[in-house]
Amino acid sequence: MLNIKTIDDTSINERVYQLNLGPQHPSTHGVLHLLLKLDGEVVISADPIVGYSHRGHEKMAENRIWEQFLPNTSRIDYLSGLIYNQGYCMAVEKMCGIEVPERAEYIRVITSELNRISSHLLGIMAFVMDIGAFTPFLYGWDDREHVLDILERVTGSRLTYCYNRFGGVRNDIDQEFCDGTRRFIDRLRGRFKDYHNLITENIIFIKRTRGVGIIPEETALEFGVTGPSLRGSGVAYDVRKNEPYSVYPGFKFEIPVRKEGDVMARYQVRMAEMEQSMKIIEQALDGLPQGPIRARVPRFIDPPAGDCYFAFESARGAVGYYIVSDGTRIPYRIKVRTPSFSNLFVLTRILPGNFIADTIATLGSIDVVVPEIDR
Amino acid sequence: MPTEGQKKLLEELKNSFTRALPEGRITSGDYARTGCHLEVRMSDAGMRRIAREMKERRFHLETITAVDFPDSFELVYLYSTYYQDFCRVIARILISKEASPVSVSSIYPGACWLEREIYDFFGIRFTEHPDLRRILNPDNADYFPLLKTFGKTKLTEEIDDILC
Repeated sequence: MLNIKTIDDTSINERVYQLNLGPQHPSTHGVLHLLLKLDGEVVISADPIVGYSHRGHEKMAENRIWEQFLPNTSRIDYLSGLIYNQGYCMAVEKMCGIEVPERAEYIRVITSELNRISSHLLGIMAFVMDIGAFTPFLYGWDDREHVLDILERVTGSRLTYCYNRFGGVRNDIDQEFCDGTRRFIDRLRGRFKDYHNLITENIIFIKRTRGVGIIPEETALEFGVTGPSLRGSGVAYDVRKNEPYSVYPGFKFEIPVRKEGDVMARYQVRMAEMEQSMKIIEQALDGLPQGPIRARVPRFIDPPAGDCYFAFESARGAVGYYIVSDGTRIPYRIKVRTPSFSNLFVLTRILPGNFIADTIATLGSIDVVVPEIDR
Repeated sequence: MPTEGQKKLLEELKNSFTRALPEGRITSGDYARTGCHLEVRMSDAGMRRIAREMKERRFHLETITAVDFPDSFELVYLYSTYYQDFCRVIARILISKEASPVSVSSIYPGACWLEREIYDFFGIRFTEHPDLRRILNPDNADYFPLLKTFGKTKLTEEIDDILC
């Protein structure tokens, strides 16, 4: 028997009505369902309903060996899969005490930062398309295509990567990869002028984004918001700087921060972050050491019993793997702390009192990836 | 290596935890291996006291999770700071399988969804929670998927034996 509940909500009357935004709505980027209560055009309350793309990654982890969970990691957040890949490997390496060759760390950083650029390009362009600008979307996807081509050559896939291995990476990068990456960076630098013309200085865009969807610093702290959404609210928190991992301490880069906390600020932070990523990639390519790309690791690993938390910065914020091992070849528990989960929940606080049209702008600017929330 | 500021912060935290939680056990964590600077074992009454203490020091609640051990659940609270002198605190509590721990969502509103997720996957009912519903699984589900007993069949046990 289907146990379908009917509405018995007494707060709905002639004046207040309920709107289902999604689960199949073009601007919710996947299957996100927002249950909005509206008074005219003003949102009274918002209730995000998630779980439509729940696949049970955490349960799957408990039914396979450590190595077999690697392909799952990039499917949690399909837009920054390489970063999740890297994070999982680093977490397990930390538990087992595996030393990774320096060249492998450099390759990981280069590929992860390329992945971050592609994720930000998609995030920004899909967001501006949601609020009505169609042209920049096409330019942005053109650029993103170049990143995907570069990554495809070395990793073998375009979206759901499985490139990192415990102790290193699968394939070595060659001269053509380095040249192609440099060419891409030059090209993207040139394109930034166009983007600023098309988006940043566009009067309609400015009117739609200034002072809209403000996340105050205090609210961000209460909800555990991270990533560009937090840095748009004036907090310079980036795992790559605050809790450095891999070879990030060796590179010179800044953490872009804006004070305003509105949609515009989050957009500006993402744009500035891409430029920082390009800087990191250039430094990594300049200093790329020679040597092996993978440490000698046993065929099957069994981390010592105990637990470990490893945090890293994905394109959307701080991700964390909480890993519990009982000393066998099968993980006892893997919990993934995903940034979109916390970032989305803050909507229940900031949407009420705003126009419904701004809901779309706010949602787009937080750049949630639904499969990452649902896991 | 911890910086001077980190050492000072850790010392302060230790002192205030000892004051707030006389019955708890506070130990320094091995950051290089576990990723946490400070480990706190707390009692049921201490959960909110720790949360309040962390909020006052402007830590954010990174995540809450549960682990299903054979005869108890372990709840794990991870707090860390956004600001200079990074520090992560891991607070643990062992509860029995039937226990209803107290919710911290009145202190950290963001905990609301995290606790809903734990209820959804482990069936742990938090008391004083504003909105304890299922979150990722269907509303009419009658199972708690992350329990170790869920989904175990003869076949999966055989596979486990082969893998181990």
